[in-house]
Amino acid sequence: MNLPHYFLADLPPEAELSPVIISAACDTLKRNCVKYLLPRSTEEIIKLLCAVGTEWLQPENKFRRLALEFGPLETKFSKAVLQRGLDGFFRQFTPENFHALLAQDFGDGVTSDACGVKKSGDEAQHAARSTQHIWRGPELLVHIAAGNLPNPTLMSLTLGLLTRSAQFVKCASGTSLLPRLFAHSIYEFDHKLGTCLELAEWGGGNVDLENALFAEANCVTVTGADKTLAAVRARLPEKVRFIGYGQRVSFGYIAREVLRDETIAETVSRAADDIVAWDQNGCLSPQVIYVEERGAVESDKFAELLGVELARREIAEPRGEITMEAAAEIATRRALYETLAAHRGDVKLWRSLHSTAWTVVFEHDVRYRFSPLHRFIFVKPVPDASVALHGLDDLHGKVSTAGIAAPPEKTRELAATFARWGVTRICPLGQMQNPPLTWRHDGRPALGDLVTWTDVEA
Amino acid sequence: MNPELSKFATRLRGLIELHHFLSGEQPLHQNFDALALELFALQFQNNSAYQKICAAKNLTPQVVEHWTQIPAVPTSAFKELELTSIPPAARTAVFHSSGTTEQKPSRHFHCAESLELYEASLWKWFELHFGHQGELLFLTPNPKAAPDSSLVHMFETVRKKFHLPESAFTGNISADGAWELDFVATIGKLKSACDSAQPLTLLGTAFSFVHLLDYLAENNLSFHLPADSRVMETGGYKNRSRSLPKAELHAFIKKHLGVKSITCEYGMSELSSQAYDSAIRAESGVPGLMRFFELPPWARVQIISPETGREVADGETGLIRIFDLANVFSVAAIQTEDLGIRRGDGFELVGRAQLAEPRGCSLMTA
Repeated sequence: MNLPHYFLADLPPEAELSPVIISAACDTLKRNCVKYLLPRSTEEIIKLLCAVGTEWLQPENKFRRLALEFGPLETKFSKAVLQRGLDGFFRQFTPENFHALLAQDFGDGVTSDACGVKKSGDEAQHAARSTQHIWRGPELLVHIAAGNLPNPTLMSLTLGLLTRSAQFVKCASGTSLLPRLFAHSIYEFDHKLGTCLELAEWGGGNVDLENALFAEANCVTVTGADKTLAAVRARLPEKVRFIGYGQRVSFGYIAREVLRDETIAETVSRAADDIVAWDQNGCLSPQVIYVEERGAVESDKFAELLGVELARREIAEPRGEITMEAAAEIATRRALYETLAAHRGDVKLWRSLHSTAWTVVFEHDVRYRFSPLHRFIFVKPVPDASVALHGLDDLHGKVSTAGIAAPPEKTRELAATFARWGVTRICPLGQMQNPPLTWRHDGRPALGDLVTWTDVEA
Repeated sequence: MNPELSKFATRLRGLIELHHFLSGEQPLHQNFDALALELFALQFQNNSAYQKICAAKNLTPQVVEHWTQIPAVPTSAFKELELTSIPPAARTAVFHSSGTTEQKPSRHFHCAESLELYEASLWKWFELHFGHQGELLFLTPNPKAAPDSSLVHMFETVRKKFHLPESAFTGNISADGAWELDFVATIGKLKSACDSAQPLTLLGTAFSFVHLLDYLAENNLSFHLPADSRVMETGGYKNRSRSLPKAELHAFIKKHLGVKSITCEYGMSELSSQAYDSAIRAESGVPGLMRFFELPPWARVQIISPETGREVADGETGLIRIFDLANVFSVAAIQTEDLGIRRGDGFELVGRAQLAEPRGCSLMTA
């Protein structure tokens, strides 16, 4: 793959980064941003993003083709899994969705003004004292990307363009390919905007490089392990805003009403969608699916059917290659549950033969279990949602998404129950790894948290 | 106790005790498969927890034809099940796995007969590697303080064979149950070894060596132990000290203790035999030899691909599975959670199968 060297991450591996290079890159970014990005209107940026997104959905698009050709080697996701994940992401790139995001985070009627000015509407009616609200994004927005999945990094870049920030993305070693391809696709559409982005790759904890970067930053977002967040936060200068997205878990919840002969196939298929998406590697992927007992189809039958579906998916959307350690973890956990299954009627296991491609463990213990991931799912029967939440007791504040399969009325009830408990995102089962642009990441406004407001009083 | 199992244990103990490592006659080696199949049939019959595991896999004595097909039990199953054929009333000892963070430890039950066999097994192989006389220093608590440690039981067996006083143990148990070292006593032993010019063999866990070496470094102490002094180190830190890469630990030991020969031991509470690495050969200066673990002739290792469940080829990595004939009263085939590289009849230890550094936002067992 031969991409032009627009970004530091494009340089051959032998090119060594230094604090001086990082500082100089930040200076250039800021200058370019003033010249090329700040003067753009939000509408222009949305238009560009939608055009880039549309291109990524075209089979012949060169960046998409490169992503699907070289992605499997670098990301360890199969081509089919990458394709589904990227398509789901870029399909969100419509003017309506961007407007919905802006309206949600900034209020209505804000999008067209070049300098991010919002004029209050019915000020006479509300006797508001402020008549103008001006937002601005951070001058230099730095992203420390986790690298387990590409989409969060692509989303970070997208949000930063909307706030008209110069952006520097620090990718973990060996994970910059997809962010780079996205940045190149922006560059190709609009060279000038492309010069407001920088991407580099190094192993986390390189204090010299990171200190040079943090010294220039106004806002740093970090996605990854809690200890990574804490380590970065401790090293940021005081003036720098910190936005951290730490470790989270997610679960599926299936109501007995959809465990009927007429709906079981779809329910199973949607559960499989969530397990197969990104090979279950993100914090939005379920590690446990709670299934209500006393459905027409019993919960253990659901687990068995899920195994059949995962076996089928393995043919069309194979799981990617995994490390020896990850395979060993799966083999070890399987061995334990096989042993338990031999002794207890309430534990069952279904698994791929001669591979670790997929595993379904059915057990009555309602405690949430951390799965070894890579398509290893726990199915746990529960009488109702309160028991499922009881199983999540130790994870308060750590639960991201609940994917629900239930009739509409019951979905509303469940959503209210889960929201009260502290789940920050509730979506239909099958959509867990496909959050909308308006997703409030971990319950916080993703765009709104980046900006700073000026209120102009009359 | 089942008389057939007892008979088997007695016979095996005889074979172990009479085994000559250099003799041309190698009954244990030649009859390993027959012994393993005989033991499997007995364990299947007398160990109901194991029988269920085998039945679920459809691997019964009627269909198993070779020791490599005998179903292995994961070490984690020792936490959940009573994998023993010793009736509750006859259990005189139980060895626990040693992780401090574990809520439920493994339980390997023993009785007088099983301990006799354990002692015969450990001693025969230890003696080959370390001889049967000299000064030993055990950096662990003594058996009164740590009755449920199979390692301490092993050291106690060795201590008695060497006719050493109980003060050969210089470890303690702290209030929170962690293993500590009595530094004053340990330093005293090191000093007297230096004064007497008698070689000393130090035996302990990796973390106890780190405790000792950190103490020596902090106090600016180092020893040059008499020539032929040795170290036996058994892996695992279990969050009880900072962990060091093996090479660094060994360099640290050599620097502060002046010991040239370090042997690593691989053992666990679920086994009755140990593996030692061929440190002597590796350090003989012969190029091309590397450190790898070898089991005694009454135990064998297989390296199993976690992906396929099949044995890997020589030089490849997989999960370590050990078939230990000396585990007569529990289960002979043990699936560990450790990764190793297959090296001939032995293995190179890679370490515990832990998830690679969790990357990203998904909360996993770390």
